[in-house]
Amino acid sequence: MSELNLKTLTAAVAGAVAMAAFVLPSAASAQQGKEKCYGVSKAGENQCAAANGAHSCQAQSKADFDGNEWKYVEAGSCDKMGGKTQAFQGKGTPMDKKGG
Amino acid sequence: MLLELQRTFRATVTSRDDAVAPLVRAAHGPVSRRIAVYRNTVQKSLIDVLAVAFPVTQRIVGERFFAAMARDFVVQHPPRAPQLSLYGDGFAAFIAAHQRTQGLPYLADVARLEWARGEAYFAADAPALDPAALAAIAPDQLVKVKLNPHPATRLMTSTHPIHRIWAVNQPDVADVPAIDMNVAESVLISRPLYEVHLRKITQANGAFVAACAQGQMLGEAVAQAFVAEPAFDFQAALQDHLINGTFTALTLS
Repeated sequence: MSELNLKTLTAAVAGAVAMAAFVLPSAASAQQGKEKCYGVSKAGENQCAAANGAHSCQAQSKADFDGNEWKYVEAGSCDKMGGKTQAFQGKGTPMDKKGG
Repeated sequence: MLLELQRTFRATVTSRDDAVAPLVRAAHGPVSRRIAVYRNTVQKSLIDVLAVAFPVTQRIVGERFFAAMARDFVVQHPPRAPQLSLYGDGFAAFIAAHQRTQGLPYLADVARLEWARGEAYFAADAPALDPAALAAIAPDQLVKVKLNPHPATRLMTSTHPIHRIWAVNQPDVADVPAIDMNVAESVLISRPLYEVHLRKITQANGAFVAACAQGQMLGEAVAQAFVAEPAFDFQAALQDHLINGTFTALTLS
C-alpha cells in the first residue's frame, strides 16, 4: 500500500483486523490469572525505609547523607555506550574528603 | 503560628537551610545535627522515589551521580502533591538544563521516556479497541473513523536512539554495547492487560499515532504517515496497535 485510496485502506484494515483477531487471545482467557491490585504503589515507593527492611529511616539518616557536597562522578554505563562523560568532571564542584 | 512553624519546617527539610533552628529547643547535641536527621530522611526518601521512577537514567550516570543530581532536584523542586507516584514530573526538564549532563545530550529524553512509562503505569483503566468494532464499520465510512488513544498510551520521539539505550540498560543486560547516538527513534508505550509495553516504532507509525491522538480521522492520519515515510506499512502497524491496545475505542464523525 504505497498510496492512500479507499480500496487499499479497506483491505488493510480488514487484513489487520483478521490478523489481530487471530493473535489476540479471547478477553476471558487473557484475563485469567491477572488482576489489578488497586492502591498499591510500585515497590518501595510508599515506604520510608528500604523495601527489604535492611535499614530503617532512622539508620539511614544517621549516615552523613546531608554532609558535604556530593561528588559528581561518572560510574554508569554512559562511557560503555560510547557517550561522553567529560562534562561531569572539572566543572568546579569541590571533591569532598569523605566521598559522600 | 502552627502553620508558620510547619512551613518553616518544610522549608528546612527540603533545603540546605536551617531556617527552623531558632524554634528548636536546645537539648542533646547541636541543633543542626538534629535537624539533619529529618532533612536526610525526607531528601533520601525523595531521591529513592526518583531512583525507582528513573532506573535507566540512574544506570547511565551511576548511582552517586544520580543521587547528587536528584538531590539538587529535590531542593529546587520539592513535592507539591502528597502522592509520591506524581513526584518526578519535571525531572527530565531539570536534567536537560543541568550543566553537568551536557555531555550526555540523550539523557533528558531517556528520562522523559521513563516518566512516560510511569504515567502509563498509573493511567486509568480502559478496554482495548475491539477489532470487531473496526470490522463492523462500512468501507465508505472507514476514512472518517477516529481512533481514540488508550489513557495509558504515550508516544515519545527523539533524535537519539532512546529505545535502544533503554533496552541495553535493563538490569539483565550485562554488557552494554557501543551505540550510535545519532539515530532518531520513536517509542510507543502502551499497557495491554496491566503490563506496560515499550516498543520502537517507525517514524511513519509515530506520525500516524500522533495524528490519531490529535483527533484526526483515519484517512487523514494514514495520509500523514505516508507523508512521513512513503514505505509505511499500514496494515502491519494497525495490527500491532490492535494487539497492543494502543487505542481504546473508535468514534464515527
